Amino acid sequence: MIDVRDLAKDYIDDGGVTSALRGISFAIDKGDFVSIIGPSGSGKSTLLQILSFLDRPTGGSYTFLGKSIDDMTDAELAHVRNKEMGFVFQAFNLLSRLTVYENVEIPLIYSDVPIGGRKKLIEDAVAAVGLAEKLYVEAGKLSGGQKQRIAIARALVNDPGVVFADEPTGNLDSTSGAQVMEILDDLNRRGRTVILVTHETYTAEFANRIIALRDGQIERDSPVKSPRRSKDQFFK
Amino acid sequence: MKFRDSIASARATLRYGKMRSVLTMLGIVIGIASVIVLMSIGKSAQDLIINQVQGLGSNLIIVVPGGSGNGRFQSPAQAQGIVVQSLTQQDITNLSRDPSIAAVAAEIHGQATASYGDNSEVVTYSGVTANFFDVMHTYTVQKGYPFTNADVQAYNHVVVLGASLAQTLFGNADPIGRTMYLKGQAFRVVGVLTPKGTGMFGINEDNLAIIPVSVAQKQILGVNYFSDFVIEANPTYTISFAQSRVEKILEQDHGITNPAQDDFTIETQQDVLNILGSITSVLTLFLTAIASISLLVGGIGIMNIMLVSVIERTREIGLRKAVGATNGDILQQFLIESVLVTVMGGIIGIAFGALVVTAVYFGVRAFSSLAWTFAFPPSAVVIAVVVSSVTGIVFGIYPARQAARKSPIDALRYE
Repeated sequence: MIDVRDLAKDYIDDGGVTSALRGISFAIDKGDFVSIIGPSGSGKSTLLQILSFLDRPTGGSYTFLGKSIDDMTDAELAHVRNKEMGFVFQAFNLLSRLTVYENVEIPLIYSDVPIGGRKKLIEDAVAAVGLAEKLYVEAGKLSGGQKQRIAIARALVNDPGVVFADEPTGNLDSTSGAQVMEILDDLNRRGRTVILVTHETYTAEFANRIIALRDGQIERDSPVKSPRRSKDQFFK
Repeated sequence: MKFRDSIASARATLRYGKMRSVLTMLGIVIGIASVIVLMSIGKSAQDLIINQVQGLGSNLIIVVPGGSGNGRFQSPAQAQGIVVQSLTQQDITNLSRDPSIAAVAAEIHGQATASYGDNSEVVTYSGVTANFFDVMHTYTVQKGYPFTNADVQAYNHVVVLGASLAQTLFGNADPIGRTMYLKGQAFRVVGVLTPKGTGMFGINEDNLAIIPVSVAQKQILGVNYFSDFVIEANPTYTISFAQSRVEKILEQDHGITNPAQDDFTIETQQDVLNILGSITSVLTLFLTAIASISLLVGGIGIMNIMLVSVIERTREIGLRKAVGATNGDILQQFLIESVLVTVMGGIIGIAFGALVVTAVYFGVRAFSSLAWTFAFPPSAVVIAVVVSSVTGIVFGIYPARQAARKSPIDALRYE
């Protein structure tokens, strides 16, 4: 599904060239649950941005579903993000003035789903995260955990193949964090690829594979022998 | 992104910031209302003036002394305060002989104090030939009778008063048969005109005295010339033919071989209508242009608010791009928001303008004698809608482009 070879990302600023990523190579298959971990400044967020088509690499190759990112226009990248990728952010990024329904609808606005066909998709996605009764509540009135679950519903509504989660539990208490991880785990079990960026080791261990970065390079790429599988294990 | 989604999104945004939306709209409301009001009032004023000129009769030819160089927009000498003595009794005699001309009325004007007892008023008086009352249909005698040719020939000191002058001098008393004074000379009042109301450019046409032209020329002013001729064309001839005959006869009388050197100016009702139409159109355009400045200010207000909105909603832009919005989608969304604000402002402005125009109509009708008409030109509505939409696009495009160009990563990081 995802294949990166010798991936690099350099930033040019006043002080010269800063290398955020270099020599990154790995492949992720459909249905994998991969955690990308590393200390602050290790390049994990930059890697996630490139993998999720929000940014382009400055070196190496990146192939998604058999197509190179270099061959795609910005509009094509936007289309793939919309159809194949779901996003869960640390800061939720819900529009507080809109209702849950309207927030979850946003990815559908940019897809070819007809307006009449949206309601069921939205209801199903919100029900999947256990918040069906909040459908018409303003997003600003939800708790942090509820917001993140709605953000997951928004990520799922277009039925993407891969979900990118950037520190999804970073702003949550442990109970809400556990609920969110359980939902992501459930998504993975239902066949979706999940790519998680986190600096929390115990959160990372929900994945079946951990890629550890340090100073823009892969320090370790190893399977998790016994991934955590429930919220009870989240607290251990 | 579907157009319907853009509209729904724009409506949600406007609803969320109601006060801001209303204040942003206000500039456009005032601008569009001003344009509507000025265009409508301009049209009413134009109709008023045109109706008054048309009331003079379409078969009249006016001759004033002094050339206009045959240029349509050069004023004749008289209008510039230059006294030209080119119109004479001989002209009247020769013009009257021509079959295309039914009648020639002549006038001379002056200013003097009119008095009766303790009442006095400075008025414009007109010395006219007796046929003036037949030729000028707008001057009808309401009370008494107009003086006759015999009065003119005999230098009789008789006067026909305008309605308001009669009221000023005589109050409620019947002026007919009474003696009043004009420039120190006694005149017997023989008639009072039907009130005409305020005429073009606010001139009170009821505050005048009409006396025999012979008395005005010989006994008051001591001159031989006339201020103007009002010529009635014979209806069996076209007005343009009659006009060409008048020109030819006067040139012969005055020994002029080159028409460019004519010492008189001929105006038909159509000429006057054309000139007045041009003047009122230019005035309306000028006033509308001034009103448009408020639209410009309103537009700049919209651009300002939209720029603030783009900054405030940076993370939203980042999110929308992350989940699949293209630059075009974001551009469309923000542009539709600004157009929605201006179009809504435009619609409210049209309604508000219509209210003001209606109030002006009833106000003018109630407090003046002007034959003011209600004019609400459909073109003003079309222009208002088009202008408000264009304002939204012009002043919304820059903020919308700023929004569309944001990098999703930077936008998502924005705090």
